[in-house]
Amino acid sequence: MGTYLARRLLLGLLTLVAITFIVYGLARNMPGTPLTVQLGESDPSRKLNPEDQERMQRIYGLDRPWPEGYVRWLGNVLRGDLGRSLSRKQPVTTLIRERIGPTLLVSGTAFLLAWTLAIPLGLFASARSGRPEERALSLLLYVLYSFPTFVAALFLQIIFAVRLQGTAWGLPLFGMTDLPPDAGTAARALDVARHAVLPIVCQTYVSLAYDSRFIKANMEEAVRQDYIRTARAKGAGPARVLVHHAFRNTLIPLVTLLGLSLPGLIGGSVIIEQIFTWPGMGRLFFESIRERDYPTIMGLTLLFSLLTLAGQLLADLLYCVVDPRVSVE
Amino acid sequence: MSETPSRGFWAEAWARLVRKPLAVGALCFVGLLAAVAVLAPAIAGTKPVLCRYKGRIYAPCLGYFHRSLEPAIFARDRFRGTYPQNLRDKDPESWAIWPLVFQDPYRAVRENEWPGRPANPAKGDGHPNRLNLFGTDQYGVDVFAKMVHGTTIALLVGVVSMGLAATIGILVGAAGGYFGGWVDMLSSRVTEVVMCVPPLVLILAFIAILEKPTIWHTMAILGATGWTGIARLTRGEFLRLRQSEFVMAARAAGAGPLRIILRHVLPNALAPVLVPVTFGIASAILAETSLSFLGFGPPPPSASWGSLLNDARSNLSMWWLVVFPGTAIFLTVLAYNLVGEGLQEATDPRLREARK
Amino acid sequence: MRTSRPVHRPWSLPSRPLVACAVACLAIVASACGRRAEEAATKPLPAAAGSGSQAATKAAAAKDQPPEPFDPPALADLEKSVTWIDRPVRDGMAILRAEQAKQPAAVPVAEALALENTSADRNRTILAALGRLPAEGAADMDARIDRHVTGDLGSTNPIMISTTAEFDILGLTGFGLFSFGRDLEPFASAETVATWQTSVDGLLDKVVLRDDLVWSDGAPITAHDVAFSYQLIMDPRVPVPAVRSGTDQMRWVHAYDDRTLVFFHKEPLATNVWNINFPVLPKHVYESTWEADPTLKDSAAHVKLEEAPVSGGPYEIVERKRGQQIVLRRRESWSRVGGKKVREEPFFREVRFRIIEDPNTSLLALKAGEIAEMVLTPEQWTTQTSGPDYYRANTRVTAPEWVSFHFAWNIDSPFFADRRVRRAMSYAFDHDRMLEKLCFGLYQPAAGNFPDDSWMASKKKLQPYKQDLDKAEALLDEAGWTDHDNDGVRDKEIDGRLVPFEFSVLVNQQPLRIAICTLLKENLEQVGVRVNVRPTEATVIQDLTQKRKFQAYFGGWGSGTDPDSTENIWATGAGRNFVNYSNPEVDRLYVEGRRELDRGKRAEKYGRIQEILYDDQPYTWLYWRNSFYGFSKSLRGYVFSPRGPYHYSPGFSSLWMPRQE
Repeated sequence: MGTYLARRLLLGLLTLVAITFIVYGLARNMPGTPLTVQLGESDPSRKLNPEDQERMQRIYGLDRPWPEGYVRWLGNVLRGDLGRSLSRKQPVTTLIRERIGPTLLVSGTAFLLAWTLAIPLGLFASARSGRPEERALSLLLYVLYSFPTFVAALFLQIIFAVRLQGTAWGLPLFGMTDLPPDAGTAARALDVARHAVLPIVCQTYVSLAYDSRFIKANMEEAVRQDYIRTARAKGAGPARVLVHHAFRNTLIPLVTLLGLSLPGLIGGSVIIEQIFTWPGMGRLFFESIRERDYPTIMGLTLLFSLLTLAGQLLADLLYCVVDPRVSVE
Repeated sequence: MSETPSRGFWAEAWARLVRKPLAVGALCFVGLLAAVAVLAPAIAGTKPVLCRYKGRIYAPCLGYFHRSLEPAIFARDRFRGTYPQNLRDKDPESWAIWPLVFQDPYRAVRENEWPGRPANPAKGDGHPNRLNLFGTDQYGVDVFAKMVHGTTIALLVGVVSMGLAATIGILVGAAGGYFGGWVDMLSSRVTEVVMCVPPLVLILAFIAILEKPTIWHTMAILGATGWTGIARLTRGEFLRLRQSEFVMAARAAGAGPLRIILRHVLPNALAPVLVPVTFGIASAILAETSLSFLGFGPPPPSASWGSLLNDARSNLSMWWLVVFPGTAIFLTVLAYNLVGEGLQEATDPRLREARK
Repeated sequence: MRTSRPVHRPWSLPSRPLVACAVACLAIVASACGRRAEEAATKPLPAAAGSGSQAATKAAAAKDQPPEPFDPPALADLEKSVTWIDRPVRDGMAILRAEQAKQPAAVPVAEALALENTSADRNRTILAALGRLPAEGAADMDARIDRHVTGDLGSTNPIMISTTAEFDILGLTGFGLFSFGRDLEPFASAETVATWQTSVDGLLDKVVLRDDLVWSDGAPITAHDVAFSYQLIMDPRVPVPAVRSGTDQMRWVHAYDDRTLVFFHKEPLATNVWNINFPVLPKHVYESTWEADPTLKDSAAHVKLEEAPVSGGPYEIVERKRGQQIVLRRRESWSRVGGKKVREEPFFREVRFRIIEDPNTSLLALKAGEIAEMVLTPEQWTTQTSGPDYYRANTRVTAPEWVSFHFAWNIDSPFFADRRVRRAMSYAFDHDRMLEKLCFGLYQPAAGNFPDDSWMASKKKLQPYKQDLDKAEALLDEAGWTDHDNDGVRDKEIDGRLVPFEFSVLVNQQPLRIAICTLLKENLEQVGVRVNVRPTEATVIQDLTQKRKFQAYFGGWGSGTDPDSTENIWATGAGRNFVNYSNPEVDRLYVEGRRELDRGKRAEKYGRIQEILYDDQPYTWLYWRNSFYGFSKSLRGYVFSPRGPYHYSPGFSSLWMPRQE
């Protein structure tokens, strides 16, 4: 186990270098630089001298070839410095720190909520497979799935933030909080929670159909195994059969899926964050690409990649825990 | 014990599939969509399906598939894209077979383009009427025509991206899970690298660099980056299954690894993999919609269902922009998933046992 | 039955110590590179190593120096030798009041509020009634307003202004000496300036500041702050490219004492009056910190300043939640200095800028009363702001704005080098359809680069183009583009190859612009020309247009305050001349226009420029965009200029809310 972990960590490092190299190359070679964003003004009285442009390029370090830029970035990272955002003028670590909390609040809660609902739904669906109530449930979940988030978000906003405004059911339209910084902690926590409801709902309903169907499919496969017949023959009740015997054997794909979802938690959803003006990581990433803010792009890529690799390693280790037939070799 | 020889795994699966009414219904719906996609110019368009002009027969409607397929004689004779009046004026002996609905998916029909018909209503006045079955969008373009011509995208978008993703994913995952050792190491690392490169960066880079980025480029990228989940799931299943008895038995019988993978392990590993694949095909439509929302949709003029939904956001009073494409997306998603469910039940070898 | 674990050979590593060494070496090398680059960035720049000829690098290095030291003459000498002309020092609000006093009485406010804005007449009525400044005591001086911006501030430093959000916000906290009114005529601001004089020969401007100006941290605002800001802006190490345009046309700015400033110009130009208007930073705050960190954003001191900047205007930033909102509060030290009231305080006690990117969400916020004003898109104006749910709490107004949009044709490409082809494009496009169907009849057609009602427009009253497909085809045939190979697409033999007439037009990812380009595509297909519409990110368009790597694009220009600013677009080789237009007569006219001080003669020159450009059609001018605003019914005092309701004097300061009874 020890050598396996050491090997995986080393390989993980090399993989990280490969990933960041590729992303840096892509970002630097895309047309547009942070300067073209700044200088893109529609007021013609803002003149552009070629000398000024060259000077700005030198200040930003854009005149050197990009592999050199990459090595410089890597050097800084190894010394713990993620650099400073070119467009926001703040250190990248500060940006990430500001945004990660709100993102986790929405995506973490949505994740828990989705799986808390999906597991019983999936079990129910596999138990009542083929019956009318299961068909109806499936249909409802598919309807939810086909509803694009931005349309749903708009409808929810109209219903809860406009029509029901002022009533007990009313919810804030956008943003994370309305209170000034000196309001009490409890009041602020409640305010943030109220603002988070709509984004969380939008992020939850999408995954409901997929997650519950996933569980159902795996359960149906597990239920047909011989040991289930044995368990039933032994007299075990249907609930025990379902949960204790069948469900546990669907854990490998489930663990895989959970491991794959981990980076998504930090990534956030660009669309939801844009509509609700939620200060999250998804929007940060999208904007930093649009602004060609290389330090932020690289910082975020590094973070996501680290989490992804960690998630994979965790999933691999959990395989062994969950299924004794699997070993780390 | 019966003596009928087995038909083979896939043939048996198909036979079981066609016995399920829902799955068959879904398959028929997909078939209907395919027919609509192929016959789109004949269903809705402003170019004749067939016409006789100056002694020869032409099919101008093919211009909807590719501009170069539109006969050049109409450009030379200054038709300027308007067929009904010009055909009659320039050749009194001409005849034409018109599409079922005279509307164009890319532009609003003008006044008297078809003699006697008013121009398409625009802004908020375009609710569904006799001439515009599904209404018009804010610029006056007919929604029915847009949906008919957008069916191609809706059908193929998922198949292209998911087909690519499934193929790569299953191959990589199966290789890693079955062989283990350094093959597994290598395939896992490749999977991780592809998993960590953000697809948004790739898509943006492609759109910026390519001269003529089309939706197919986008779908190819989504497919080339979206296989990682499938690979992991497949690998997990293969890890689990390579220790099973039937694999041992097959190996003892002398079967080579490829045969074992394809004939023995894969059918058993399909269940968890089919879910992301069938969802993925359907979700590709929604991905296209999201990309349109963020501004990276297909090059205009585009007639995709997703762009209709996008327009709907800024024009909520025009309910027909939401209802019709929304229903179509829902039905397509449903159809693909029902087929997937049917496939899953059909390919599960245990079902055979359950029936007996 | 449990199976025994199969034996697999573990993947073997090359010896681990070796790998560790390699990784360590990489790290050391990389960190060394990292450190070196940082040092390089902060030192004053020597001639860059590497690419480029010696001469080029020398020239670049020369431009990179701050202005040569200048020994200003003593003030006494100046007073003796120079004849000064008095220039206007005015108060924007007073000008507006005087103007409104002369207007006929408007309908009662209640009646205007009840109107739905469905016609030009009603629009005028609403603007006239609701745009009035308050009578004495009628304004609620304790009011708060929620304004809307679509993006966050990049920086709170006034010399880094580049986005509209920054203009809106930093316009309220910044300190300035000059401004201009609705007619875009410049004047010195009576709130900050005591006297302004220009020398007869046009080479000097003398400004005496008021003595009751205080920064938000209590230090007095002096002429030294202005001179210091000039030095900072002109220093090549400080990355402020946009603001420098204008200041680099001056020779020097000198503060003789705490109140007296003299601006030295290089030449007596009509545009000098705009060059003296630049943002001002507090010297006592930045003089000790800027040399250590000329980028003004990296050092700890500067980061703290970003969060809580020292403000010189009527408001100061009290709260800044990134990506969410920025709160400004009226500061005492603007209106009361030394215990006495020295200036009118602004109407609003607090101004909160709420950041909402998504236009649908912001419209909902306006309807719900969470914001009090926003810019409306044409679609929102047409379909979403006409029902009772909108008019319950809001009204809407529109006014012409000097922002125009066009198709730009790259004259260096083989397609558009010929003027006939460019005019054919303008004839082929269905302008009427665009104005009526796509712009919903809301915009004015554009005939040339100056607005019809501006002083610099051509007196010949140029007519906008109308679609004429026959003419377009005739012009294309004349230019040699005919269908040689009978495939339905025009082509021409260039350098021995048959080149089909197929080009790409770059456009921003906005629905209206994409729809207009799609209309162009449809029209041109009718005459045998193929177009690919390429919606791309704004940065990519900037990048490609700056590198001249395009065939056509859809763009727009806002109007600067002086027509000379358009020289940057049309002069040969100018920075924003992306289409590679070159006409020596136009170049000459611009230089003469700058030197000509008589307004009438200047107008003739710019009129002639417009006529020449209109003949040459380097752009196909499309329309002038109106500004469309939704305002809460509780707001009054909004008045529009060609630059919108805010970007002139008094601008936002004229808005107020009535006192509640």
